[in-house]
Amino acid sequence: MAAFCHPLFMKRKLMPKALPVNSKTAASPALMQNLRDVAEVMPLLVILLGLFGGAIVLGILQSFGYAPWFGINEFPTTRYFERLWLSVDFWASLGLTLYYGFAATLIGLVISIPLSIALSKKFRASRVFGALIRLPLMVPYTVGIALALVMLGNGGLLSRISASLGLIDDPAQFVQILKTHGGCGIIAVYVWKQVPFMTLTLSAVLARKGEDTVEAAMVLGANSRQIFWRVTLPQIMPGIVSASLICFAFNIGAFEAPLILGGGYPDTLPVLAWRYFQDANYAFQLQGMAVVVSLALVSGIFLAVYLLGYRRYERARGRV
Amino acid sequence: MIGSSSSLRDIKSISPWQRLLVLAMATFTIAPFAPLIIQSLAFRWAWPNILPTVWWHEQRERSPFPLAWDYVFSPSSRVAEATINTLGIGIAVTLLCLLICLPAARVLAQRNFRGKNQLEFLIALPLLIPEAAIGIALLMIFIALGFAGTYAGVIVVHLIPTIPYMVRMLTAVYQGHGTDAEDHARVLGANRRQIFFRVTLPMILPGVIAGCLFTFLVSTNLFLLTFFIGQGQIITLPTLLFAKISGGALDATGAGIALIASVPGIILLIFTDRFIRSYPLAE
Repeated sequence: MAAFCHPLFMKRKLMPKALPVNSKTAASPALMQNLRDVAEVMPLLVILLGLFGGAIVLGILQSFGYAPWFGINEFPTTRYFERLWLSVDFWASLGLTLYYGFAATLIGLVISIPLSIALSKKFRASRVFGALIRLPLMVPYTVGIALALVMLGNGGLLSRISASLGLIDDPAQFVQILKTHGGCGIIAVYVWKQVPFMTLTLSAVLARKGEDTVEAAMVLGANSRQIFWRVTLPQIMPGIVSASLICFAFNIGAFEAPLILGGGYPDTLPVLAWRYFQDANYAFQLQGMAVVVSLALVSGIFLAVYLLGYRRYERARGRV
Repeated sequence: MIGSSSSLRDIKSISPWQRLLVLAMATFTIAPFAPLIIQSLAFRWAWPNILPTVWWHEQRERSPFPLAWDYVFSPSSRVAEATINTLGIGIAVTLLCLLICLPAARVLAQRNFRGKNQLEFLIALPLLIPEAAIGIALLMIFIALGFAGTYAGVIVVHLIPTIPYMVRMLTAVYQGHGTDAEDHARVLGANRRQIFFRVTLPMILPGVIAGCLFTFLVSTNLFLLTFFIGQGQIITLPTLLFAKISGGALDATGAGIALIASVPGIILLIFTDRFIRSYPLAE
């Protein structure tokens, strides 16, 4: 990336393009080129703005009371947000959502940072291990949930193993992992699924950086702890930021794991929104939309704070 | 990456802690599949037995209705329908996504213009906004348009989480090649079509294949958007599995479906190791 921002490259881009041999029509090749560029980006823009932008605009409109297709048009009203934000349940749901999201992202990072460093040192079996560890990335989340049910449930394998070790003699005595608000089952599924993603992202950064700086630090007498904190970690910071942002956004928007493995009421925000939408009374859909907009708002705030913090970190290191 | 395999060190070359971490993570990743396979073959597996007391194959002759894998492969399980849907939707999404992203990636890689950073942020945004929020808001639009519960609706909505990855990978590929070869071909009198098919495409093909495989993977694994927009009328392997386990229990057929739903990913993992490994997520 950086190489392409180099002044030399910029200059070459500004140089006139080689003209077609017989270009009578091309009065202004630069203009034609620009038009073509715009035309080539257009489909992407239309899809993104149409779907994504449309969803956001419509979601916001509905949460403020605009739903003429249900015969509801109270726009603009803050009724739905007021009702939502003044209820204790909403804050409990939000707390649970954030707790699952943060815990899983943090545990995932703590595992995948050393894992990617270990796998970047190429040993004979590192390819095999790399491939094995990548497996969860390749299968659906619902498979991860099925694995959690068969491993962690009260009748699951861990419970059976504890029984055969003589630790418990009834399934009910096994520590409740699933269907609680402690959420260990949900977090385990998130971690299981996301460690490969994070590890792969960090490995890509590590592979690009090479081992030169680490070797230089070693030659200069740095110990392994200094190398990690002073050399490797700052190098892979961009990867950490992008991987953790993507995983966190996914975690707080996930629906199936909290629904199946969670403790029920109070639900996480996506499940809460879905329950509103399943309600026969369609006026609740606007309430659900207020939940959805709140969720997007929360993730937007976290995104902004995180990126600002990251920019300050980069600035402090003199990289921006 | 490494010249010859003889230069590879033994696993003992990494520190004991790192070895422990790698082995523990490999176990954490793979081990849960063992009880899943056992469950799919079990008929009676009472607590606290580590292995089933009665296996499926011992009961299959006696049972009046199909059991475990017999049920999974029978038409009433709808596994065949879900598999065809999953693969068909995956292929359609991949081709559509490639068609949309390839031209845009070229521009993003080769041009500098005002608002480029903002555009790149917009493209990354679908990954940073919770899927449930997008899914539910879009469902309203799609119901109004009559798109909900149709193949077209599901395919279009799958574009949202796949576009960011596809654009990233293709942009990186274009950046890696520059425009020199195209410039030469143009000077030599090749037209635009010739340049694309004879010069550009052969150069970027490995990256295009990698992008397509990853897009296909994301699409086949997608649950939430299919579930919301498909309205239960379009079933794919992830949604079929969800319906099976949403009660919080896993029986033999549920385990079988979970294994079937893992098959596309496992095949891709085995055959496309080197493509997936090099995908440029780290921007």
